[in-house]
Amino acid sequence: MKVKRWFLLRNKNHFTLYLSIIISTIIIMVIQGSLMTFFIVSGVIPDLLLIMVVCLAFIWGDKRAIMIGIIAGFIQDVFWGPAIGFFCLAKMIAALLAGLASHEIYRDQIIGPMITVFFVTFVHEIIVFSLTGFFWGNTFSFYFALEKFFLPRAVYHFILTMFLYPLFYRAEQHNFFYPSFK
Amino acid sequence: MNQTTRKVMGILGLIILFLSLIFFTGKFRSRYTFAEDLIMTGLSPVQGFFSQIGLRTSTFFQGIVDYERVLEENKKLKIQLAARENVHYQLLELQKENYRLREMLGFKERTEYSLLPAEVIARDPSYWFETITINKGYADGVEKDMAVVTSSGLVGNVMLVSRNSSRVLMLTDSRRAVSALVQRSREPGFIGIVEGYPGKKGHLRIINLPPEANIQPGDTVISSGLGGVFPKGLVIGHVLQVGKDQYGLLQQAIIIPAVNFNRLEEVFIVVELPPEKKDEGEEVVPSEE
Repeated sequence: MKVKRWFLLRNKNHFTLYLSIIISTIIIMVIQGSLMTFFIVSGVIPDLLLIMVVCLAFIWGDKRAIMIGIIAGFIQDVFWGPAIGFFCLAKMIAALLAGLASHEIYRDQIIGPMITVFFVTFVHEIIVFSLTGFFWGNTFSFYFALEKFFLPRAVYHFILTMFLYPLFYRAEQHNFFYPSFK
Repeated sequence: MNQTTRKVMGILGLIILFLSLIFFTGKFRSRYTFAEDLIMTGLSPVQGFFSQIGLRTSTFFQGIVDYERVLEENKKLKIQLAARENVHYQLLELQKENYRLREMLGFKERTEYSLLPAEVIARDPSYWFETITINKGYADGVEKDMAVVTSSGLVGNVMLVSRNSSRVLMLTDSRRAVSALVQRSREPGFIGIVEGYPGKKGHLRIINLPPEANIQPGDTVISSGLGGVFPKGLVIGHVLQVGKDQYGLLQQAIIIPAVNFNRLEEVFIVVELPPEKKDEGEEVVPSEE
């Protein structure tokens, strides 16, 4: 009986957690596709969803990271992806790396997640670049993309994480992602 | 098999699964799947709402910064509009005369189009895929491959359709090529994206022009109508720079698009009219086949 209760509770917690991630992802995707396009800095638009995925994976560790990446990536595929599975793969690997990095870096100091976001952005963009090249062909060379897209976006994400990570961290501290139904 | 090996195997399995999914869903799609359609239909009003907030905020601040310039531009545009009105009526007269003469000569009927207005409700935030979402879908008669234009020129074509919204593949996307010609000299060629051109995103280039092609900076490039997706005569952009291609055999030119792809707010979907609609007095955009 105890096992059954534990099992149900565990599923309920998982259900609310994943539902929270789905809702947060949808809100961020809607803002990303509409509001954010008017705040492009020097031709660079930040990927708010990637920042969210990395921050949450960093907070929760690699066990949940894969699921966060897949959920967020799938919703991005529905909104903008050229194919289902495209951003699933990129976001899953990004989240996994952030989750693994969290073992070695303090979670309650802002510089750790900022550096993680900076490097994971590179990895994410390289995966997207490679998949695009493999399936549809790239018109940009790698070095051009590195200089014009990857680096500016990584710097932009690095700065934005300074403001966004504390929000996610506090949300986690206040159980925002798994609210009680009581 | 220990836990780490199982984890690695699991991740590899997921990577293979996603690669297969990309392979099977990356092509041959003209409509969203049922689940995607449901999500897009539910979210398009929300996207529209946020888009409006962004647009109004941006326009408000832009208006303050550019107040003097906007006033000056407004004066000029009013004068231009008055002049264009006269030209518009003259063109309508010429259009009617052209129909009569074509009929007398027994020429094949031109394909005709009406313009369906749509609002841009979202834009792809990545740099790899240049797509926008508009608030018209198959419920409004929108179909895959319909051309999308603004008053300035060609934007792209409809790529994916859901009930109340559609995704438009823009000209600047690297996955497309448009058959085009130089309006002044009528040189045929193809339009593609500029690779590595001074770091400026959103420029186009016309390639495959013969060495003797008569093309020079300032020339207007228009759609040729070949390929069946875009009607003939839609303005694509203006030539910025002409040069040889990488092998030195053919000419190519960098083009500044006529449309400002970063500030798209309203667009028109070009809907082909059935022949019987032609005589109902609708204002149409003719295109020679």
